[in-house]
Formats: sequence, C-alpha cells, structure tokens
Amino acid sequence: MALSKFENSSGSKQTATAGALLEHTFRREAGRMVSYFARRVGPAHLQIAEDAVQDAMLRALQTWPYSGTPTNPSAWLFRAARNAVIDALRAARLHGEKAAAFVRETSTLAGEPPFEDGFEDDELRMIVLCCHPALTREASVALSLKLVGGFGVREIARAFLVDEAAIAQRLVRAKRQIREQGLTLDLPREQELSGRLSAVLEVLYFLFNEGYSAHSGVNLIRAEFCSEALRLARLVAASPVATPQVHALVALMAFQAARLPARVDDNGDLVLFEFQDRTRWDERLIALGFWHFDKSIAGSEVTEYHAQAAIAATYARASDPQSIDWHAILLLYDQLLSISTSPVVALNRAVAVAKVHGPAEALRTIELLDDHPKLKDYHLLLAVRGHLLRELGRWTEAADSYRNALQRVCSEPERRFLQVKLEQCESQY
Amino acid sequence: MAQFALLLYDDPSGWLKLSPEEMQNALEKYTAWGKQHFVKASQRLAEDAGKVLRSAAGKPRASDGPYSETKEILGGFYLIEAANYDEAVERSLGHPHLEHGTIEVRKLFGQ
Repeated sequence: MALSKFENSSGSKQTATAGALLEHTFRREAGRMVSYFARRVGPAHLQIAEDAVQDAMLRALQTWPYSGTPTNPSAWLFRAARNAVIDALRAARLHGEKAAAFVRETSTLAGEPPFEDGFEDDELRMIVLCCHPALTREASVALSLKLVGGFGVREIARAFLVDEAAIAQRLVRAKRQIREQGLTLDLPREQELSGRLSAVLEVLYFLFNEGYSAHSGVNLIRAEFCSEALRLARLVAASPVATPQVHALVALMAFQAARLPARVDDNGDLVLFEFQDRTRWDERLIALGFWHFDKSIAGSEVTEYHAQAAIAATYARASDPQSIDWHAILLLYDQLLSISTSPVVALNRAVAVAKVHGPAEALRTIELLDDHPKLKDYHLLLAVRGHLLRELGRWTEAADSYRNALQRVCSEPERRFLQVKLEQCESQY
Repeated sequence: MAQFALLLYDDPSGWLKLSPEEMQNALEKYTAWGKQHFVKASQRLAEDAGKVLRSAAGKPRASDGPYSETKEILGGFYLIEAANYDEAVERSLGHPHLEHGTIEVRKLFGQ
C-alpha cells in the first residue's frame, strides 16, 4: 500500500492538476459531502444528503466525458449536490425553517465548498453518530463505511462476504433507528463523551483489523478499510475531543499499517514478521506512529490500545530481527493480558514466550487455548502450534497441526505458506 | 479523413448502482478515451427527453421526445476523424460507454 493513499485520505494539503482527479476523489468527496449536508438537513433526512451526493456524481458522469473534468472537481460536485439538496427539500415540501436555513447557510458557499476544518468537524460528528452505542456493531461498521468512507453497498458486502441485500437492509434499518430514536449529530459532553469515544474507537479498531487481517481470499478493498480506519482515527485524534487513548490507537494503526507493504513478497507470498524486509516498512507511517505514541503517554490511563501500541513500537524500534527486545515484549503482553481477555492476545503472547522461555513453555501456554470457543476454528492457533512443535523437532505432530490448519478458512497467501511448512515437516520423517 | 458522429445512448438509472469509486473509475476511462488525437469535438445533451416536431393533418405539432417508451436516451455525442467506417468502428470499440450503453456511428455527409 502506497503512502499516498494515507496522505490523500488525510484530506487537505493536496492540490490536483487542473482537469485531473486524485486517487479516490469521488469516494473521499462522497463522505465529506454526505457529512456536510446531513448536518444541515438533520440526521433524520440522511437520505436526502445521500441521494443528493449520488445525484451530483451521476451528473459529473454524464457531463465530464463531453466537457472535460472541471478545474476544481470538488467545487463542481459540491455545487451540484447543494442544488440537488435544495430540489429535494422543495420536493419533500420541507418549506419550514430547516429548508430556509439551509438555503441561507449554503448560498454564500454556492461557488466553493467550505474550508477543510468545516468538513472535518462535520465528518467527526458523523463518525460519532455512526458509532452511537444504540446501534449494533455491524450497523456502525456499515454506516461508517457507507456514509463517511464513501464505499458502496456492493463493496462493503463483498469485503465482508455478506449478501448485498443484507448490507442494504442493515443500512436501512440503522437509518430508520437514527430517525425514530432522534439520534443527533451533537458531540457528547463531558461524562457521556468518554463512553461514546470508546464506542467510536472500538468500531475503528474493528474496521482496521478487518482490513489488516484479510483472512479469506484476496481482497483489495479490505486494505482500503485499513487506510480509512486510520484516516478516521487521525481525524478524531486531531479534534478537540481527543484523549491519550485515541493517540494510542492511531499509533497502533500507524505502526501496523507501516508493515503492510512488507507482509507479502513480490510473488504475493506471506513473509513472517521476523523475515520482513525492513526497507519496505513505511518510514513515514512509523514516524507518525511514534508521534502519536508520545502523545498517548500523557495521563495515567493504560488501555488495551496503549499496550498494543507499545508492543508495536518495540518491534518498530528494532533495527533488525536479532535486536528485538523480546523480554520487553513479553512484559507488555503480560500487561495486555491483564486488561484484555482476548484469546488472540494470549496466542500472540505465546510467540514472545517461545523467544524468551523456549518453544516447550510456549506450547504449554497455548494448550490452555485449545478449548476456547473463539479459537476453535482459528487457523493461526494451529499454525503457531505447528511452528512450536517444529522447533522442538516433533515433526509428525507439527505436520498434523499444519494439515489441520489448512482445513480451516484462510487467505490464499496463508494457504501457500502453510503448505510449504507442511511439506518441510513431511520431508523430515 | 472523414468525420463521424458517435451518438451515445444509455439508461442513466443503470449508473445508480455504482459506488463513488466505480463512478470515478468509469469517468477516468471516458476521459482517457476522449483525449485521443482523433476526437475533434464532444457535447453533452440536456437530460430531458426533448421535443419532437411533426405534422398531423397538415398542422405542425410538438410533442415530448422519443424516449417516453424506451429507457435508453441519447446523452451526448462525439465527433471523430477516421478514414472510413471500418476505422471509425474500430476506434469506437474501445469506448468505455459500451459497458453501459450503445453507440451509434454515423458518417458526416460530403466528406
């Protein structure tokens, strides 16, 4: 993944060559404009905002092939969407104060879209709404991707291997819930804020992990979920509601995203962390990670994101695989386990245990995970076990583990990786 | 070199299924096609159905455009240069519009 994607998505500072579009312009503008217009017509009329934005893009599609791409595509789209909102308000006979206020407020902006900060504030409010605790996790993820991320229903459905109609239904239901329960775009205050913020971070972290660990098939859109989650987290981090916890999450995402380009080699095969070509790590993202990591240390609260970010930072600090401080990493995992009950954390900890105390000890720690319902079909548990057994020279058992892992759901590169490991074990007996 | 008019028909509702990203991809394909050296002019038509004039019982009369019963409407046209129909068709075969609608190729008279 090129850095340019992350830079684009950070929003502002780029200027397009006249008459040309930047990567993801439409997707980005869709999210910004829906957020902007939804705030002005009210979240109960989300559909008006969404339809107007789609209408503007459709107009572009019908016009630009003949007239050429305008000098300022974003301003063109914004103008077209604004006119579509006004038409829709008229058609819906929303003649009241809302419609009048909308026309009043946006008439001065007829030529140019509002400034960057204006958009960012609207997007922030929209994310907070999408992640409202009254909505289900699934609804929040779909809403965030659709409304703020600018992804299409088909794209979301494909990425989650869910039926298109199911995603569409989920969105309709969530929007109805927003309307009927009168959920607003107001930013929550003091006491309520930290709970709402946690909900936001949870959704963004989930979204990031979905993109990061594309466990089934080859899926490019999922990689874009990663950059979108990072972009949104950075947006929250740059806002007045940011807390050290937010910075910890951004740091964590940035460190992990930095390693994405090194995770597969030129043949598309999986490269284990230890063998990754560090020159392929994205230095700017690592720097971004450390910047936010420093900010995350303010305050006394230590969250799961803090511990995860600290682990990722320890990896990032090592100049080569031999100099990774495994003792520090194991301590951080211990700390993490005291905050998080996730069996995946316990599994990852086993890798550090193996480095510090040897594979036999690590094997003992993961035996406890065997009966965990969440890990029952998790191929990586079997892959880690295979790896540890291999290190102990227990080739037949290792081969069994790899064989079992191959029967679980996993991505194509993971499948090839496990196959190679299996064959190496089989050649030993 | 002769000149040819390419008339582009499509059903605009078909576009509504596209995501913003897909719309941008489509748009970029159109733009790239339009930048080729043989494209001399292009013009979009307004999206309404227009009017058709004809005489009924010796009296000229205007009625709504020809598109009331079909979904595909004429959205715009290009003017391109080509040696003959074969080349005009060949140049149009790569047009991204064919993923969405149809193209009518007509030679301009007298060239």
